[in-house]
Amino acid sequence: MRKKLALMLALVMAVSLTACGGGGSTPAPAEPAAEEEAAEETAEEATEQEAATDAEASGAYNVMYLINGNLGDKSFFDSAKAGLDELEAAGRIHLEFIEMGGTDADQPKWQATLDDVSASGDYDLIICGTYQMPDYLKAVATEYPDQKYLIFDDNTYVGENDNVVNVTYKQNDMGYLVGVYAACMTTDTSIENMNEDAVLGFVGGVDSPVINDFLYGFIEGAQSVNPDVKIDTRYTNDYVDTAIAKEYGASMINDNKCDIIWGVAGNAGNGAAEAALDSGKAWFIGVDSDQELTLSPDLAAITLTSGLKNIGNSLIWIFDEWDAGNTYWGTEVVLGLEEGGVGIVTDKNFDKYASEETKAAVAAAEEGVRSGSIKVSSAIGDTSGAIEKLRDEVRP
Amino acid sequence: MSNLWSMLLSPEFFFSIFRISAPILFATLGAIVVEKAGFANIGLEGLMMFSALSGSLVSYYAGHWFPGLCAAVVTGVVMSLVMGFFAFHLKTDIILVGIAINMMGSGGTLFLCKVITDITEGTAMASTTGLITRSLCIPNIKIPLIDSIPFIGRVLSGHSLLTYFAFVCVILTSIMLYRTSLGLNIRAVGENPDAASSVGVSVIRIRYTAMAFSGLMSGFGGAFMSMSYAQGWSLDMVAGRGFIALAAQAMGAGECLGGMLASLVFGFAQALGIRFSAIGLDSNLASPIPYAVTIIGLVIFAVSRKRKAAKPRVQAT
Repeated sequence: MRKKLALMLALVMAVSLTACGGGGSTPAPAEPAAEEEAAEETAEEATEQEAATDAEASGAYNVMYLINGNLGDKSFFDSAKAGLDELEAAGRIHLEFIEMGGTDADQPKWQATLDDVSASGDYDLIICGTYQMPDYLKAVATEYPDQKYLIFDDNTYVGENDNVVNVTYKQNDMGYLVGVYAACMTTDTSIENMNEDAVLGFVGGVDSPVINDFLYGFIEGAQSVNPDVKIDTRYTNDYVDTAIAKEYGASMINDNKCDIIWGVAGNAGNGAAEAALDSGKAWFIGVDSDQELTLSPDLAAITLTSGLKNIGNSLIWIFDEWDAGNTYWGTEVVLGLEEGGVGIVTDKNFDKYASEETKAAVAAAEEGVRSGSIKVSSAIGDTSGAIEKLRDEVRP
Repeated sequence: MSNLWSMLLSPEFFFSIFRISAPILFATLGAIVVEKAGFANIGLEGLMMFSALSGSLVSYYAGHWFPGLCAAVVTGVVMSLVMGFFAFHLKTDIILVGIAINMMGSGGTLFLCKVITDITEGTAMASTTGLITRSLCIPNIKIPLIDSIPFIGRVLSGHSLLTYFAFVCVILTSIMLYRTSLGLNIRAVGENPDAASSVGVSVIRIRYTAMAFSGLMSGFGGAFMSMSYAQGWSLDMVAGRGFIALAAQAMGAGECLGGMLASLVFGFAQALGIRFSAIGLDSNLASPIPYAVTIIGLVIFAVSRKRKAAKPRVQAT
């Protein structure tokens, strides 16, 4: 029996070892493949370069978009690609892109690909994004000081390289729109599961300036619609504990009659959506990308809208500025509503549930912020404690 | 303040205590049995992470929650046996094996999730939240008669199948430890392995059994986390519940009933912290409440045990 057990365990070990071995060895054969790909690409580039030189005559930029994942993510990668496609269709850029893949086995390729495209010197601008890329980018940006780079939604190494521009997004502008929308919706009892109390919920990750920036806009937006609106703010104190976010969401719904909760807590934020689904008497609002597309169907059904970072629009804005002679190399560009950098999802459930008045109010708010007639306060760099005071005032 | 009282007297408050306690209770039972066998399994956290991932993945691919639950349990048991193999056969320090499992439970699960599902990470870490629908989760059970009792019905009825099972497991584990020969052997091995060995008990087999039992319980706990509490697995979602279970085991004096009470105390403290946050207590003060309660509980327990231990000596002199 003992021997059998030992044998069985040895078998399990062996299987897990081969599994590990398999995983470990994949990058090795993958690399020549990547080189081949690169070689093919350079061949392609050669033909395209002629086209590019034609384009240069007409003033178009050669742009390389490196995707640390695959297109079809219904999120940042697709959004960026859509913006770049629009620029290409307008004849303003000459776009090439490489899907580098997003698995751990692909990661060794990221640096190599960045190196390859930087060394080729064919591109006026190399674009990449997300929190996974700053370290890779920093290495090549230091090595190729004459190559220009853009990284979106990350500001880890702002200003350390004079050839990199960091594009980030104004959370407070996004929060303002979401706040206006939520405050309109929460008293609209013609919608299923909405109660007459004007109480909204906000599940944040950590009580920190960035998260409070979302909150600041959210509260100001909601108050612009209804000065007496109540907002129940809770922080999960981490970004991973979905279960605790669900408990906070359930407490908001049951104890304070929240009927709309905005979840701004990374993966944990989805717990608030689950609380809303479980209770059967509340709705959820997503953040950053259109979460109706990425959540599972039954959670998506109770997601009214999402606050958006419009990566595509922000890239178009950068090229508009570039054409106008304004460049931001070596700095961080923070884009808000005015630049189209943030927004709110207005199709699907938004379109289905929002009344005409609500839609008009959201559009008016967007216009107001864009034109500068509405100023949204920011929690970033604010040490006066104003946001904490406001948060306590609107607590139900 | 009156608002707080109405929150604390609501059935939802009591309901949430059971929901918060359930995963901790599973892990606590696992910790109790290995402790009885004379060692500590600090890898409960990692085991729960692996079980949570495999449970949600298998339920997604199989299209039903039951295969997922089975997979979670099998994963827990197999991983715990692997831990046992390292600790008992290869003589690695069991604490180190536990640390290794916990680390793998964090990074390794994310790796496996990405390899298996091919999910790309654009905006957030990979998770299976987008794959799991409500129908793939372990169902909630309405108890026929109790459900119709006004207040109590809303507290006791409508929990997840696994929540009820966690409390059933308290009784089962207690029977196993004190009413079966296996339980006797486990306790004997824990008290004095040499003595147990001298009467023909296979010490290593008993240790493997205890280890597998902790894996089994972690499997249920992990399945509860990803298939009932939250919909789907995400990185580090067990969030320290495996460690809390070790504290609950100590707080409950290593007994099943005590462990259950300790888990409930922790659940109560967490539910309390959540209600305190509703009246505006700073989140940095509200979220550590359960941990503070755990520490206070451990201190009280340690002091009372010390007094008990001291008493006979006083009488003897």
